[in-house]
Amino acid sequence: MVPVQRGRNHTGESMIIPVRCFSCGRVIASDYIKFVEESKRIRNETGHEPTGAEKSEILDNLGIERYCCRRMILSNADLIDEIISY
Amino acid sequence: MAPKRKGAREEGEYKMLKIIELKDNFIRFEIDGITPGIANSLRRTLINDIPKLAIENVVFHHGEIRDKDGNVYDSSLPLFDEMIASRLGLIPLKTDLKLNFRDECSCGGTGCDLCTVTYSINKLGPGDVYSSDIMPVNRPDLTPTDPMIPIVKLKKDQAILVTCEAILGRGKEHAKWQVTSGVSYKYHRTFTINKSEFNKWTYYKEKCPKSVVSETDDQIVFSDDTPCRFLSQLFEEDHVKIDEDDTRFIFKFETDGSLKAIDVLDYAIKRLEDRFNTLMESLSD
Repeated sequence: MVPVQRGRNHTGESMIIPVRCFSCGRVIASDYIKFVEESKRIRNETGHEPTGAEKSEILDNLGIERYCCRRMILSNADLIDEIISY
Repeated sequence: MAPKRKGAREEGEYKMLKIIELKDNFIRFEIDGITPGIANSLRRTLINDIPKLAIENVVFHHGEIRDKDGNVYDSSLPLFDEMIASRLGLIPLKTDLKLNFRDECSCGGTGCDLCTVTYSINKLGPGDVYSSDIMPVNRPDLTPTDPMIPIVKLKKDQAILVTCEAILGRGKEHAKWQVTSGVSYKYHRTFTINKSEFNKWTYYKEKCPKSVVSETDDQIVFSDDTPCRFLSQLFEEDHVKIDEDDTRFIFKFETDGSLKAIDVLDYAIKRLEDRFNTLMESLSD
């Protein structure tokens, strides 16, 4: 079972992935969906959480080069599903 | 007269621009014969002086929303309206540079087809609202460039009904009008190796064949204009002579898709020239 992440996320904006990278302005919201899907695929195939190297490879394949954009995706906690019921 | 800088070109000598790598949303190019000051002004122009379309005004429908069958939906959303408006603004839209700026338009700033593009979103829950749900009203060709940006989630019996107006703006006003990201430049750099002093040159030649600038019987020269990750090891090695030319600049940047990279560069150079001319005119008066 995947542990539920709680609390405000590290990037400041709560609940949903920000549209753009805070530092450089690259659009990252659509890549986040692809990142989550790819992580799910790895989880189903291997039965464990994606390792750092696997996450790094996903980000490389998505064309996310700079570390400002990479941290937007890696450090995001999607909380909108928890807040939507209120 | 200022002392002649190292490698400086004669006055009026042609400035060379060479495109190294070009994709729709990415460009890497070289400019020869400029000063660091000009290079930086070009960088700043690329970041914050390119016009682009972005959603500026958003009108939310509050109250009941009914569908065709008369089912009632609630217009209150899980995110604040301000936050949704901000997210809508940041979504890149295809841009037509023939549009006018609103304050310079013949309509006098009230908004007309020449300066304003109208969009609407109408979606019933449950489900995600994506940027592909943004429907252009008066300009069907100016759609969002990326259809998969999530805007908000709707639960059962929630619905969103908004109309938005997009206008042209520049990056210095708000980040939503910033076309480019990752704009950077570096000096043209060469690694000169005497073959007799350093035998590992064959390794680098094999790994980075595209980076070889010139080769003679006793000397080989590499350049990192197109990045090759093995070349960075040369910084650590002895007997490698590293030269940087502060008149040759390698630029790269990417765009968010609202404009093509080559069009952005074209516009930026013209814009810079215009602004320099305005400065010169005002000085000569």
